Parts: sequence; structure tokens; C-alpha cells
Amino acid sequence: MKPNMPLVTLLSGAGLGVGVLVVSMLSPSSTSSASGYGATSPASATTAATSPLTPATASASESATLPATAAATAPATASATAVASAPATAPGTAPGAVPTATASAQKADVPAKADYVAQVNGGGAAVAISVHAGKAVAYVCNGHAVAAWLRGTATAGKLDLTGKNGARLDVSYRSEKATGFIMADGIKYTFSAPLVHRVSSVHRPPGLYEATGMVDGVSIKAGWVVLPGGGQVGSVEYDPSSAVAPTAQAPVLDLTTGTAQYDGITLVASLISGFTGSGF
Amino acid sequence: MTAQPEASSPAPGDVSLGIGKLIVPSLIGGLVALTLGVYGRLHHPTGVVVNIAGFTSAGYVKSWLATVATVFGIVQVISALVMYGKIPRVTAPSWIGTLHRWSGRIAFLVAVPVAVNCLYGLGFQTYSTRVLIHSLLGCAFFGAFTIKMLILPKRGLPGWTLPLAGAVVFTVLIGIWFTSAFWFFSTFGLHR
Repeated sequence: MKPNMPLVTLLSGAGLGVGVLVVSMLSPSSTSSASGYGATSPASATTAATSPLTPATASASESATLPATAAATAPATASATAVASAPATAPGTAPGAVPTATASAQKADVPAKADYVAQVNGGGAAVAISVHAGKAVAYVCNGHAVAAWLRGTATAGKLDLTGKNGARLDVSYRSEKATGFIMADGIKYTFSAPLVHRVSSVHRPPGLYEATGMVDGVSIKAGWVVLPGGGQVGSVEYDPSSAVAPTAQAPVLDLTTGTAQYDGITLVASLISGFTGSGF
Repeated sequence: MTAQPEASSPAPGDVSLGIGKLIVPSLIGGLVALTLGVYGRLHHPTGVVVNIAGFTSAGYVKSWLATVATVFGIVQVISALVMYGKIPRVTAPSWIGTLHRWSGRIAFLVAVPVAVNCLYGLGFQTYSTRVLIHSLLGCAFFGAFTIKMLILPKRGLPGWTLPLAGAVVFTVLIGIWFTSAFWFFSTFGLHR
């Protein structure tokens, strides 16, 4: 009797499925990537070294960049705040850090309250940074699948913010502009973002906007970077508390009403402004 | 998808008996679809998606694999039409059965990793019409394919069963492609 080939096909498909499932289960707990994209969270970077599924090149570059960035940021922060032993970790827990920062901030032309927005170099994404009294929020999105929120402290012209999935940044800000890079979803966005100057207008000002809502029982979180001149880039995340939230294009934010229509619901956007302190 | 329709073996038994042979495969196929759906719904999505070197993101890997599967699915329909003599002035070449079998196997095996990534990383989701349709069709595809595979070796089935099963599998596959890869490419751009 000749073998039942259709059954063989089915069983090999099932076997392949189980194999891929096992590979997925063994891979690091964030978006894994053989090309060096993704897998940028510290957690996955540490496991990358031991994971047999991550190629050596990826794990090598991860482990090389992370300590390098940490080493570069830590001394800079320490020297700027003139607190030699201040660790670069535990944002907001060192009560002495904020007054020190403010003191040196004025010397170094660092504003205590500021908003910056810009397209990243080369276009393709936009970034917004809001700084308010030692705290800061940054958002970068490409209007499609990339969106990252970062929060943390602003000290002496340097930002120490973190976000999900290894989102991190290296940004210096002054009264004119904020420059540096943000890593989000494994992509490095460099930029030089000018300070947003408020203009009285019926329109919502340029800056960072956020809205949350529920669509069919799933929570969503939308973010928009509204650029000077009225352009905007926005992404919407589904189930934003999940490890890797599915992300898509945000609906157009009506700058007259501050609302957006999405999947039958009305999203009401609020401005996250370091200048006014709203959203902090 | 590995049919040699109207092959040599005669159809024993009557038609009603033939239809009876469809019951067990249909139940198993239904169970496969249901299992996938229930797993996708109950299992908490991990977001883990294994990317492949050279692609921008795992979404592109999945979209291209789904596109490859769909192209082979189209080969399936054309080769089946040739085998059944439905294309005028084209006589079935001797290798058409082999082409049909292997294009089907490749389409299926290429689709499997995509489905695993979807179910393990994203789960059965309903947050928009597109996503709901995609989730339903994705589970239905493997159920329908299972039925097709299980009834293939059976003899004495009515002549319409295999074309019907093949048509259902193909239609579902096209629906899956339009609600995933087509949407992905048109949203994020057509590249790797």
C-alpha cells in the first residue's frame, strides 16, 4: 500500500508548526531579530548572549551598544550635576538631583520648561519632547507601526528617559533646540528639534498630543506629533500595556476641535506640554 | 491539494455512502479550526515574532510568506483547472499532477510559520473588522485544508467534493491575504 501522501503533508505541516512554536517560545521575550533590528530591550539583550537562536552578530552588537551607551551617559550626567557618585539609574529617586540640576541649568542655558517637535533626520518619523520641572516625556512615531513613549527625568540639559521594548534616547536640550537620537523598535532616529514657540491661534499649538479610548473592548492609545506649520504624524497602539502593542496609523487629529474619529469613537486629545505642565 | 482527480480507481458504492465518508474528515477539520481559534483567544499574545535577516520587520516576513503561499495557491487553481480540462484548448501535460501536488505542499508549508507567528505573537483578535475577518479565516483555512487532505485519498466521493474543497481552501486563502499582506503592504509600503 502506498503511503497516504496527503496525511504526510498534514503531519509535516503540523510538525513544522510545532517547531516554529518551540523556536518562538525559546526566543527572547521581545521582538527578536536576526538582522539587528528589534530586540533592543535590556532584558532581551542579556538573554541574547545565551540564546542559541540569536545569531552571534546580533548579540554582539547588542551587548556592545548597550554598555557603550550606558558608559557614555553616566559620566556626562555625573559631571554635569557635579555629583560625582550619582548613579544614572533610579530616575526621580534622588531628591538632591533636581535643585542641583536647576542651578547648573541656568548657567548652561537649559530651560526648566520647554517643548520641542521635529521630523527626524531623513523624514519618515516625527519626535516630540516635553520637559517640565525635571521631568520629561518623549514620543516618536512614524505614522505607521512605530510608536514609542518615553518618560523619565531631565537633568542639566540631558534626558534620562526609558520606554517599552528597550526604547531609549540620548538627547541634549538647550533653550533653542533638543538634539540627539531616540531608539524605538530597534530603529535609531536622529534629530535636531527646535523649541516650540507658542502662537495665539484658534488652532491647537504644535506639540505632543495623546488620546486614549476603548474600541470593541480593547484599549487604544494614540499619539500625535503636531509640527509647526500644521503637519502631523500620529500612530495608534492597541492594548498599549501589552508587551508589543500592535500599532497602526492614527486618524487625523482635528486641530480645531482637538478630537479625532477612530473606528466609530471620538478620541479627545490632550496636549502634553512642558511649557504649561499639562499632561505631567 | 495533492489530488489526481478522475484517476484510475473506480467509484465503489453509491453517492450517499460517498457523502458519509465526508463526516469524519469534516469533524476533524472543524476541530482543527476550533482548536486554533480557542488557543489564539485564550493564550496571551506574547508579541514574540521571529524576524529573518534582510527584512525590515517581522510584519514584512509574514506578508511576503503569505504572498508566496497565495501565489502557489493561484498555481493550485490553474493546475486544477487544467487537470479537470476546464481550460479550452489546453490538454493536461503529464507533469500537471506533480505541479499541483508540490505547489500545494509548498503553499501549505510556507503558510504554517506565518500562522504560528500570528497565533503565538498576536492571538485571535477582534478589534477591527479586518482583524476579525482575518482571525476567522486564518483558523478556517487550516480546518478546510485538513478536510481537503483527509478526503483526498478516499475513493467513491461525489465528483464535486474535491473541487468544492479546493475552492473553499483557495477562497479562504485569498481572503486571508487581502486582510493581512495586502493591507500591510498598502499601509506600510511595498518593500522588504
